[in-house]
Amino acid sequence: MPRPEVKFVTFSIDGREVEAPEGAMLVDGAKYGDVEIPVFCYEPKLGEPVGACRMCLVEIEGIPRLQTACSTPVRDGMVVHTQTERVKEAQNSVVEFLLVNHPLDCPVCDKGGECPLQDITFGWGRGISRMVEPKRHFKKPLELSPLIAIDRERCILCYRCVRFSQEVSEDYQLVLHERGANSFVGTFDGHPYVAPFSGNIVELCPVGALTSRAYRFRARPWDIEGAGSVCTLCPAQCNVEFTVRDERVLRVLARENAGVDDGWLCDKGRFAYQSIHSEERIVQPLVREGDELRAVSWERALEAAAGALAKAKGKVGAIVGGQTTNEEGFLLQRIMREALDSPHIDARATGAAVPLELQRALAAPGLQATVPDLEFAHTVLVLGTDPIDDAPILDLRIRRGVRRHGVKLAVATSRPSALDPNAKLWLRYAPGAEQAFVAALDAALSGADGFDALAEAADADPKALLALAAMLTADSGSADDGAGGAHGGEDVVIVWGERLGVAALPALLNVAARLGLDGRPGAGLLELPAGTNGRGLREAGVQPNAGPGLAEPTQADGKSAREIAAAAAAGELTTLYLLHSDPLREHADRRLWERALERASTVITHASVMTDAIREHATVVFPAESYAEKEGTVVHPDGRLQRLRPAIGRPGMVRSEWQLLTDIAQRIGHDLGVLTGPMATQQLVAAVPFYAGLTLEEIGGRGVRWQEREAAAAAPAAPAGPFDAGTPAPAPMPNGALRLGTFRSIWASTEVEISPALRFLAARQQLEISPADAERLGLVTGDRVEVGADGTRVSATVTLRGNVPAGTIFLGEATAESSATELLGDQPRLVEVRPA
Amino acid sequence: MSQHILFDDIDEPGLATLQVYERRGGYSSLRRALQMSREEVLQNLLDSGLRGRGGAGFAMGRKASFLPKGTMDKYLVCNADESEPGTFKDRELMQKSPHMLIEGMVIAAYAADANRSFIYIRGEYELQADILEAAIAQAREAGYLGERILGSELSLSLVLHRGAGAYICGEETGLLDSLEGKRGNPRLKPPFPANQGLYQGPTLINNVETLATVPHIIRMGGENYAKIGTESSTGTKLVSVSGNVQSPGNFEITLGTPAREIIYDLAGGPFPGREIRFWFPGGSSSPVLLPEDLDLAYDFNTLAQAGSMLGSGAIIVVDDSVPVIDVALKLAKFYKHESCGKCTPCREGTNWTVKMLERLETGEATPMDLDIIASVQQQIMGNCLCVLGDAMAMPLGSMVARFRGEFEQHIEEARFRAGLGAPPEPSEVEIAGVGN
Repeated sequence: MPRPEVKFVTFSIDGREVEAPEGAMLVDGAKYGDVEIPVFCYEPKLGEPVGACRMCLVEIEGIPRLQTACSTPVRDGMVVHTQTERVKEAQNSVVEFLLVNHPLDCPVCDKGGECPLQDITFGWGRGISRMVEPKRHFKKPLELSPLIAIDRERCILCYRCVRFSQEVSEDYQLVLHERGANSFVGTFDGHPYVAPFSGNIVELCPVGALTSRAYRFRARPWDIEGAGSVCTLCPAQCNVEFTVRDERVLRVLARENAGVDDGWLCDKGRFAYQSIHSEERIVQPLVREGDELRAVSWERALEAAAGALAKAKGKVGAIVGGQTTNEEGFLLQRIMREALDSPHIDARATGAAVPLELQRALAAPGLQATVPDLEFAHTVLVLGTDPIDDAPILDLRIRRGVRRHGVKLAVATSRPSALDPNAKLWLRYAPGAEQAFVAALDAALSGADGFDALAEAADADPKALLALAAMLTADSGSADDGAGGAHGGEDVVIVWGERLGVAALPALLNVAARLGLDGRPGAGLLELPAGTNGRGLREAGVQPNAGPGLAEPTQADGKSAREIAAAAAAGELTTLYLLHSDPLREHADRRLWERALERASTVITHASVMTDAIREHATVVFPAESYAEKEGTVVHPDGRLQRLRPAIGRPGMVRSEWQLLTDIAQRIGHDLGVLTGPMATQQLVAAVPFYAGLTLEEIGGRGVRWQEREAAAAAPAAPAGPFDAGTPAPAPMPNGALRLGTFRSIWASTEVEISPALRFLAARQQLEISPADAERLGLVTGDRVEVGADGTRVSATVTLRGNVPAGTIFLGEATAESSATELLGDQPRLVEVRPA
Repeated sequence: MSQHILFDDIDEPGLATLQVYERRGGYSSLRRALQMSREEVLQNLLDSGLRGRGGAGFAMGRKASFLPKGTMDKYLVCNADESEPGTFKDRELMQKSPHMLIEGMVIAAYAADANRSFIYIRGEYELQADILEAAIAQAREAGYLGERILGSELSLSLVLHRGAGAYICGEETGLLDSLEGKRGNPRLKPPFPANQGLYQGPTLINNVETLATVPHIIRMGGENYAKIGTESSTGTKLVSVSGNVQSPGNFEITLGTPAREIIYDLAGGPFPGREIRFWFPGGSSSPVLLPEDLDLAYDFNTLAQAGSMLGSGAIIVVDDSVPVIDVALKLAKFYKHESCGKCTPCREGTNWTVKMLERLETGEATPMDLDIIASVQQQIMGNCLCVLGDAMAMPLGSMVARFRGEFEQHIEEARFRAGLGAPPEPSEVEIAGVGN
C-alpha cells in the first residue's frame, strides 16, 4: 500500500498565514505557525481522534459552533482563531470542568511538574475556582497491576489508557465502568492489568492517575535529567529516554522514532532498567582461586586473562552475546583473528554458521524491508517468529498496519502466535520442518512438482499453503504506482525469525525472488535476529566465516558456536571467551556446553550477573557495562545504525569494555590503536565498506539506515539465485511421542529476573500442549509434568493452548530453571511427557 | 385545524395485524412505490418537506439523498429509543399500527437503496417490541420483507433490537455503537452516519414517526403532503401532552396550530383554579416558554424564533402548584444520570449543576450561586460532543433566567430554615420576565 503523499496547504491561524500538510488535524497544523492548541484526549498514536475532552475547541470562520481542533483537518484557505473571547471562554470552561472532580493534590502527586493538566490549567484556565461542592472520592491509590498504581480521583476520564488497551495493544483489558460522572477506569472484573505493553498507559496518562509503582515517589521532575539512548534488551532496539537522578536510572520513557518504535515500549524495556542497579550486579573483576571467584584488582584480572589467551594461541573460541555493541564485537574479532590466530568467534545462538553467499543475498540492500513498511505493505507474512517474544514492539506495528491501513496479515509459525487473531490466514508446520515448509511455500508459488510431498514433510495444511501463496501473489490492480514496474502485484513484507534455521534460507531467498521483493520499495524481508545486535555483530565480522562487512575472511573459516562447543568439549580449544553470553542458558544443547565449559582450561567472561555457568566455570570475570552505561553503536534488524550513549556513570569498578578489550590486546602484544570510544567506531566504519564515511554525528539521535546511504553500493554483490533448497528432511512423526518445539519468551532473561518490579513476570517453564494431547495424557492446566528424551528431563507446568497442533508441545528456552535448551540437540526431538 | 393522517384509524381494533392493516389499504403505498423508480420515491420525500420527527427536525428526504451510491451494504436504522421525558408518541404508533412503520421503512430503504434495516427499540417498550416482532414476522411471511420484495429488485432484512435502558442510545451515533454491541457512546461527527454509520457503512437513521409518515407521502404524493401545515413545517405532527393538564395524551395536529389550542382544546387545559406557570414545547430538553407564548404557532420555525424548539413534539405543562426549583432539580438529575461521560462539559457540568441545585435546598447557597449555575449552563451549551449536555443546559438556563426571583426567594427561605439568615420578606413569587 503506497504511503499517502504529503501536500501542503495554506491556512490562516490567529491572523498568520501558515503552511501545513493537507489532512493534518488543526492541532498539528497549528504547530507549523507556532500556535499551541491544548489537548488532553488527542494522541495520534492512539488512532482516530475522539473529540472527548473538548479542550481543543477553536473558532473556524464559516462554522457557527466551536470545533474540536483535534478532529478538524486543515483545509486550504481555512481561517482559524484560537485567541478570541469565545475560544478563551470555552477553554476556561473545560479546564474548570476538568477540575470539578480533580483533587488538586499536586504537591504529593508524582506527575506534579510534568503534568499536562497543571500546564494547561496554568496556561488556559481561569485561575480561580468556583467549585465549593464535595468532589468524588475513591479508595486510593490502588494497584491496577503490580507495575501500575491507579488513582481514580485524579483521573480526568480522557480515555487514552482505555483506547490504548482496546485499539493499540489490543489486549482488551481496560474498560470504562459506569457512566457519566461516575465513570471510572478498570479491568472488567477487577483482575490486575497485566499485559506485555501495559506500562505505556503510565506515559499516556495526562494526569497523575496512572503511575509507575517502580517510580512512584522516587523523584520530582526538577531532580531529574533525561538521557536519550537505545534499549538493547531485544532486537527491536526501541529508542528510549532514561530518567536519571544522581547517577541512577529511575525510569525509562519512550523516545518516539517512527522508523523504530512508534513511541511505544514493552514492559520489559520500560521496567527492566532496575537490573542496572541490582544488588546482584557484578561490579568488580573476579578471578578464580580454587573453587572460588575472588574480587581482584583490574591489574590481576587483566594479567590473568591476557596470560591465558597468549598461551592458548590458536585454541581460543569466543561466543558473543546479542547485547554486545558493534565496536566491542569488532575489537574482539580483531583480537581473535589478528592476535590469537583463532577465528573461532560466533554470535549466533542458533549454533550454526550461515554460508557467506546466503548472508550476502539476504543482506542485499534492495531486499531489506523497514519497520514502517510493516504498516504500509499490502501483505505481511510473519514466518517462524512471534514478534511479541522476539521483538515485541513490532507486534504493535503489525497490529497497527492491520487495524489502520488494512494490511493483510498471514502468520506461518510452528507455535501459535499472538497475532493469529489479527491474521487473515494462519497456518502451522511441525517444529523442525522449517526447511520443508519454506520449500513447500516456494513450490506453491511456482506450481512446481513435489508440492504435496513438501507440504506433507512440513506437516502443513496444503490448502492453507496454497491460500497463502495466493495471498502473497494477489494483485489488487491498484499497485501500478510506477514503483512496481516489472513486478506488478502487491508489496509483500516477510518478517522472519533467525530461529527459522540455516537450512530454510535458500528456499526463503527463492520465495523472495519469486515475489519480486528485491529492489521494490515498501516490500522486502525483515529478519528478527535472536540477539539484540545480531545484525550489527555479523556486519562487524563477529562470525567464523566472514570478516567485517561480510567480507571473505582472510584466514580459513573458524568454528561456529556449536563447533566451538564441540571442540572445547573434545579438548581442541582450551580457552573460551564469553562476551556477554551465557551459552548454558542461551545456546542449544546445554549438556554439550556443560562439557565444553568443564573441559576448557580458561573461561573468560564479561558479565553483569552471576549465573551457574560463571559460578562453576569462569576463570576470569570482567564486570560488564549495562546498556545505560555503554558507548557505541548497534544495528537494528532493518539496517539502522543506532547510537548508545552513556546515561549514567559506571558503578563500582566497572570500566568501558572497548577499553578493556584494547587493554587485553595490549597485554598480549597487539596494539589495536584505539584510544577512545569514537576511535573504535571509526575503525569499524573503515572496515565495513558499506558503512563508509559514517560518523556518530550522522547517526545522531534517530539512527541511519545504511541502505539509504550512498555507501550502500559497496555492499558485497549478492549472488544470483535461485538457490539450491536441498532436500528437506520430513518432520519426525510423533507416533505416540510428541514433537518438541521451543521459543524464547520475552520474559526469559536475567534482566527480568533481577528487576524487582518485573520479577513476578519472569518466565517459568510451561508446557504448551494441545487440548487433544492433554486429554489423551490426562493432563489439565496447572499439572506438573516432566518432559524427557534420552534420559534428560525438564520439569514444567501444563498450559492448554487451543491453537497448538496435536502431536506437538512447546517449551520455553532460556528460562532460569529447566530451560528447554537441555532437550535440544542437532536434530528435531521427540519427547515424552509424564506427570511429575 | 387538525387533519388526521397517522392517527386516522389508529384505534381500529386489530390494526396491529396484517389483515386489518391491509384491509385499511396498508402496503398499497409500498406497491405504488415499487412501481416508481428510486429517484421518484426520493423526489416525493424531498417534495413533501417532511422534517425529522425525532427532535432535530432535519429534512428527511435530504438526509436520505446523502447516502453514497454504490453496491456496499447500506443500512436503514429506525430510532425507536423514545426516551426524551414527556415523549410517548412512538409508543402508541408502534403499539397500534406497527405495519405502518414497517411499510414506511421498506419504502425509505428503497429510496435510500438500503438493504439491511434495524429497529432499535428502547428496552422498556416490551409490549411494543413483542407487537413489532409479530408484525415483522407477518410482513416477512407476506413478502413485504426479505428477498425480492413483491417481485421487485428490492431486498431488505429487518431486525428488531431491544435497548438496555440508556437515554444516550437515543442519540443517533450512540444508538449505532449500542447496536454494534459496544458501549453506547456518541461518536464524533463528522463523519456523519450517512457516510460512516453502522459498521462503518452508509446509514440512514430516522425516527419512528418520520418513517411511519412515508407511506402517507407516497399515497398522497409529496407535493400534496407539503400543502398541509406551514411552508417550512409541512404535514401533521403527533404531540404528546403531559404534565398539569386535565386530559394528557397523544394528539395529531397540523403543524402551525396555535399551542393554546393543543393545550386547552385537545388536552383540556390546566385543572380548575390552576394557572399555567410555564411549559416545555418539545420535550424536557427544550427551553421553557411562558403563558404568554401560548398563542405561538406550533411549528419548527416559530418555536425556534421564540428561543425554544419543537423537538420531539412533547408538551409538558407546569402549573403554579409546582416549585420551579423542583422541576429544575428533577431535570438536572435525569441528565446527570444519563450523561455517558465521554465529553467533559456534559459529564462534569451536569454533575456540578445537580450539586449546586441541591445546595440551594440546604440553605448553604446565596443568590451568587445562581450566577454560577447560569454560567455553567452557558459553558456547557455548544461545547459538547453530542446534544445531551445542551439538553440540560437549555431548559435549566431558561428556568434560571426566567424565574430568578423565585429561585432567590427559595434560597432565602432555605437559609432561614437552616438558621443562616433573616426571614425573607414575605412576597409573592416574582416571575422574572413578566411585565418586561
